[in-house]
Amino acid sequence: MLKMQNIRKSYRTDTIETHALRDFSLEVNEGEFVSVTGPSGSGKTTFLNIAGLLETPTGGEYLLDGQEIGGLSDRDRSRMRNEKIGFIFQGFNLIPDLNLFDNIDVPLRYRGFNTKERRRRIEKSLEQVGLSARAKHLPAQLSGGQQQRVAIARALAGEPRFLLADEPTGNLDSLMARQVMELLEFINEWGTTIIMVTHDPDLARRAQRNIQIVDGQVSDLRQSIAQEEIATV
Amino acid sequence: MFELKPMLSALWRNKVSAMLIALQLALTLAIVSNATAIVQDRLTSMARPTGMDVDNIIAITFMPVPKDYDMAGAVRADLDMMRSMPGVVDASVTNHIPVSGSGSASSFYLEPNAQIGDLDGNYYQTDPHFINTLGLNLIAGRNFSDDEMHVIGSNESFIGSVIIVTQQFADAAFPEGDALGKFLYHGSKDNPMEIIGIVERHLGAWPSWALAGNVVFHPLLVEGNHKRYLVRTEPGQRDAIFKQLEDKLAERDPQRVIHLETLSEKLASTHVSDNIMVKVLSAVMTLLTFIVALGIVGLTIFWINQRAKQIGIRRALGATRANISRYFLVENSLIAGTGLVLGTAGALIINQLMVSEFSQPVLSLTILAVCAILLFAVSLAAALMPAMRAANISPAMATRSI
Repeated sequence: MLKMQNIRKSYRTDTIETHALRDFSLEVNEGEFVSVTGPSGSGKTTFLNIAGLLETPTGGEYLLDGQEIGGLSDRDRSRMRNEKIGFIFQGFNLIPDLNLFDNIDVPLRYRGFNTKERRRRIEKSLEQVGLSARAKHLPAQLSGGQQQRVAIARALAGEPRFLLADEPTGNLDSLMARQVMELLEFINEWGTTIIMVTHDPDLARRAQRNIQIVDGQVSDLRQSIAQEEIATV
Repeated sequence: MFELKPMLSALWRNKVSAMLIALQLALTLAIVSNATAIVQDRLTSMARPTGMDVDNIIAITFMPVPKDYDMAGAVRADLDMMRSMPGVVDASVTNHIPVSGSGSASSFYLEPNAQIGDLDGNYYQTDPHFINTLGLNLIAGRNFSDDEMHVIGSNESFIGSVIIVTQQFADAAFPEGDALGKFLYHGSKDNPMEIIGIVERHLGAWPSWALAGNVVFHPLLVEGNHKRYLVRTEPGQRDAIFKQLEDKLAERDPQRVIHLETLSEKLASTHVSDNIMVKVLSAVMTLLTFIVALGIVGLTIFWINQRAKQIGIRRALGATRANISRYFLVENSLIAGTGLVLGTAGALIINQLMVSEFSQPVLSLTILAVCAILLFAVSLAAALMPAMRAANISPAMATRSI
């Protein structure tokens, strides 16, 4: 599903060059639920940005769903984000001026679905997260947990094959965090591949596999094995 | 595709800023369209054909010093002298200089002793040479004959029996087109004046007057304390004849004050206020449009900065750069559209007041539409640069914690 080989990402100013990712290699199989942990500044967000096509790597090879990302235009990358990837952000990232229905509608409009299809998907995804009755509410009228469920509904509505979650429970209390985590596990059971960045070791353990990033590199025994397997292939 | 419904609801939540820009556009359209109507009216007025050979005509005003001056004799002598000069086409006496902003007007009636149903017209007391001197085009009837010319004292009252009128005045008096040979009456007098000739055009004394072009000519010389001549020269001879005339008139009779000027100078000075008004209004329109454009640029940049995170989120969710630019351009178009609809109503209301209270020209729908389209284009152009800047916001902005 996702294959990164020797990915590098560096940020350069006039005087300093910072290496956020160095020779980063990782393979995630279809239907996997992978958690990514690591200390602050280790490169987790950079990895997530590259995995989600929000940023381009400085070097290396990245294949998503069998397609090499390196040569894609900005327009093609946008289309790929829209069609194949669902995002769940720590700060929910809902658009405050739009009600829940319209928030979920945003990526569907870019996808070019007709009104009827969009409505069907929005209603279905709201039902899946248990917020059908709140469709006309503004994000500010919901609790943090509810807002994150809306963000999940927005990601689900596009029926993505790949879900990227950036600290999805970071702004939630433990009860709401558990509810969101259960929802993600439920989504994974349907066959959606999930990569979740988290600081919470308990949540990380609930994933099928945990990747640890330290100093921009994968630091994990099982990942090392995976790399060896890639090398063998 | 254009996200109109969510865009409108988002705009509604930021309605104060949006309405301020819309109102600014509305006010600009109301002012610019009315100012354009005035400018167009003035330009049309200035470009209106005079019917005269303005470039080759010299206007002369003289005032004799002696009290018992033989005005009629002096006029005859001066005209004979001027008409005999090489390079002079013809010369004529008149009570006023055309297009000078100074003249006489009166009411004319279709019936004797009438009090209502009058036609206002600018009138000139002149001689049988006036058609040739001014280069007018006699399109019907005949010129005055020498025996129709009358000379009266300044305190005498006299109504002649023949007049020549402009086509415009003839049509106003006799819309059927049969003015030639018809009679008009002057004020409360019952002397009929027969229309013996019709000239194609003569703009009269006041080019900006609503009835400019309604002109009546009488074959009459009223002796008074001053008189005016018009002298038409061969093309290219005007300036040379001008100098000679100064000397020859002074030489023929030194007991008078003489002032010469060209008719083109007179016309230009008559249009000075129109010219100033056109320039001032054009400057105001340009400045207003520039201020509106700046306002739109400022507001769009402000909104983009305010919504940078939101733009990043949209990009992360699959919006292309074109989607983002289009979003801001369509949003701007909605604001501009609202402003221009309000401005159209405002422009028409203001125009009604200006027409009724200040006799300003009626605002045509064509001018209003052109101004609205231009302002819409300006507002789009003003939003284009910020909208393109917004499209360059990285989708990675979505994962930044700002």
